[in-house]
Amino acid sequence: MLFNSFGFGIFLIVVFALYWFVFNRKLQQQNLLLMAASYFFYACWDWRFLFLLIFSTLLDYFTGLKMYQAKNQKLKTFWLWLSITINLGFLGVFKYYNFFASSLAAVCADIGIHLSPFTLNVILPVGISFYTFHGLSYVIDVYKGRIKAERNFIDYSLFVSFFPLLVAGPIERSTHLLPQVKATRKFNYQEAINGLRQMLWGLFKKAVIADQCADYANLIFANSAHYTGSTLVLGAIFFAFQIYCDFSGYSDMALGIAKLFGFDLLRNFAFPYFSRDMAEFWRRWHISLSSWFRDYLYIPLGGSKTGTWLKVRNTLVIFIVSGFWHGANWTFIIWGFLNALFILPSILLKTNRNHLEIVAKGNALPTPREFMQMVFTFIQVLFAWIFFRADSVTQAFKYIGGIFSKSLFSVPQLDVGKEQLLEVILLIITFIIVEWQGRENQYAIEKLTWLRRRGYRLAFYYTLIIVIFLFTGKEQQFIYFQF
Amino acid sequence: MHRFLVKTVTFALAGCLLVLAIALIPGYMVSRFSKFTIKKDNTIVIFGHSHSECAYDDTLIPKLTNLSHSAESYFYTFQKVKKYLSQNPQVTTVLIEFSNNQIAPKMDEWTWGYTYMSNMFPQYASFMGVSDFKLLAQHNSKYFMNCIGIAARSNLIKALSFNYNYTGKTGGYFKIEGTKPLPSINPAGQNIKAPANESTISTTNIQYLRKIIDYCASMHKNVFLIRSPQHPLYEYRSNEAEFSSIRQRYFSDIKFLDFNNFPLKNDEFADFGHLNYKGAIKYSTYINQQINNGMLAPPPTHSLKSFENKQLITINH
Repeated sequence: MLFNSFGFGIFLIVVFALYWFVFNRKLQQQNLLLMAASYFFYACWDWRFLFLLIFSTLLDYFTGLKMYQAKNQKLKTFWLWLSITINLGFLGVFKYYNFFASSLAAVCADIGIHLSPFTLNVILPVGISFYTFHGLSYVIDVYKGRIKAERNFIDYSLFVSFFPLLVAGPIERSTHLLPQVKATRKFNYQEAINGLRQMLWGLFKKAVIADQCADYANLIFANSAHYTGSTLVLGAIFFAFQIYCDFSGYSDMALGIAKLFGFDLLRNFAFPYFSRDMAEFWRRWHISLSSWFRDYLYIPLGGSKTGTWLKVRNTLVIFIVSGFWHGANWTFIIWGFLNALFILPSILLKTNRNHLEIVAKGNALPTPREFMQMVFTFIQVLFAWIFFRADSVTQAFKYIGGIFSKSLFSVPQLDVGKEQLLEVILLIITFIIVEWQGRENQYAIEKLTWLRRRGYRLAFYYTLIIVIFLFTGKEQQFIYFQF
Repeated sequence: MHRFLVKTVTFALAGCLLVLAIALIPGYMVSRFSKFTIKKDNTIVIFGHSHSECAYDDTLIPKLTNLSHSAESYFYTFQKVKKYLSQNPQVTTVLIEFSNNQIAPKMDEWTWGYTYMSNMFPQYASFMGVSDFKLLAQHNSKYFMNCIGIAARSNLIKALSFNYNYTGKTGGYFKIEGTKPLPSINPAGQNIKAPANESTISTTNIQYLRKIIDYCASMHKNVFLIRSPQHPLYEYRSNEAEFSSIRQRYFSDIKFLDFNNFPLKNDEFADFGHLNYKGAIKYSTYINQQINNGMLAPPPTHSLKSFENKQLITINH
């Protein structure tokens, strides 16, 4: 059940009506309803993996309680590691086993030992990386004493499986979401309208920008050997907008849906392509994952308050692990490594916190220096995206090799109609303008202060609806569902 | 909550009306102003899928216009036939390609499978009737909804650019230069390998062929079913018995011109199902001769079977 599907629309209306009109008297009833709806939502993907979700939830629920009740530190540590081991064990088996088995076989083959690795023929349970990290954040927080262990299973289960964030995040923290689960929720008109608006913008990003860009990015990446350097650059740009609009569009929809039920989820994107350096980019891209790694890996490793070499090591570790989190492929690991390389200079020179505010705050346009900084950052991001998108490292290198050829300065050529291509480029330009105008808000169309009259704003919303309707034909899976 | 519901429902209703208007108004304009014209001198048209698209080089058959389109099931051909016949009164004869794979269940995929539907539906949605929409919605409701958006967009672009001309965009002769390496022709047909999972038939395609025929009859046109040459090892030949049975059961009232075994060499085929340009030249020249000899003259003055046999013997010599 995709967020941008008709079926999900019906599901959402039914759950919303039951939540506010039937189960509105008691908080426990509302939580039970949301939990049941979330399990139903997950079962619609593949009911068999529901058992895995329930097992993971039970595991963290009980280990959390056991840690809280443990009389000594040793026992507490034991329960923590038990939970971490089993959680990561499941992730390892489902997501990484085949990668390790085939990589080992490849290494052995290089030294003359021929192994036929035993690989698992299982599909990756949707959202496993996300709910595993939810659970881990909870047990670590309980261990560190940041939060009390949750005794109410329904509340805990809702924290893990709340359907807007279940399959692709944002990766929530127990300290942020659990208190909301336990608090009485009153319907808030402004928040609900805000949620609908955010859903609309998310849907536009996904159905219009991401899905249109996907067609061209897929075409160019699939036939990269036949295209000119300039066309390959265009392919990488299309992918950059595809992945941003796909994932941030999903996140906007998730946040908007949660607002309808009175929840405030963590912000996941903050206009990352307007960043002036890579450190700023990573503060604005997939914020819930970046901050997860920062809090549960980077800081425990010593963070940046250590010696130079440890800083370098810690940075490399979190970016490579982050790459590996995305998928069991060397392409993701190199993508992580490249991002670490790009960010390291600013960490070593202590300029990584130079740009905490959004670019050109209060101004209509950036300064030429800011503009050049944004362009340079975008080029670095683009370069790394090639590894993220390529099917293999070899393809990525060939793609990059193809870019740096004489044809880099030729006019891009694609085997599609010029009008269609122009249509997508115009859509992207319009999208960038709207994002720029709304960059000081939580999401681009939150306030629409540049459209002063209410009538203009209404016209803008209806234009979005019409454009979504006209472009919904190419419904594609969300990229991050595979992670 | 009351305020939220009222505002949201009002907004949603207005949005639905707007979307409906965007979907219907350009659709109506396309339906009203679309042009499906062929040359005034051409009195014969042929409809079909890629077999006839590659077989009839209409530059060699002066009276004929090839309107075949690859991967087109009869469902979409029907929409096209309605427009061409109503806008081209000079057409007296309609040839409809009817070959073995057109009874196969893959025709259902060609009708409501997403890839095919997203290509064909936007083109012809404006000319469809309620029962046609219902059929697609019943079989693939999810993608049907998506295709409505694509169709609306396509119609909107046509309406905004005042480009209602369908001529040349709905099919035509397709020239294939090369040839795939084919195994030697086995006249006995012993090497034919039946396609996997093709044990049933597409009733929808057969029903729509009947609709096309009935429509042509209502427009007082002479209708012929025609089978273009197929390689002796063409996989769909394996359903010949079923094909003949369906033809006799449902289309016995329609003349069937069978050139399935028209003698062609391997290098005149692009692949098992399609002729390349060499094959198309040879076959089209022959068809032109036969048209001039009165092959399509109504009513037939001789036994069709003997006519075909006679012509094939002639060309073999």
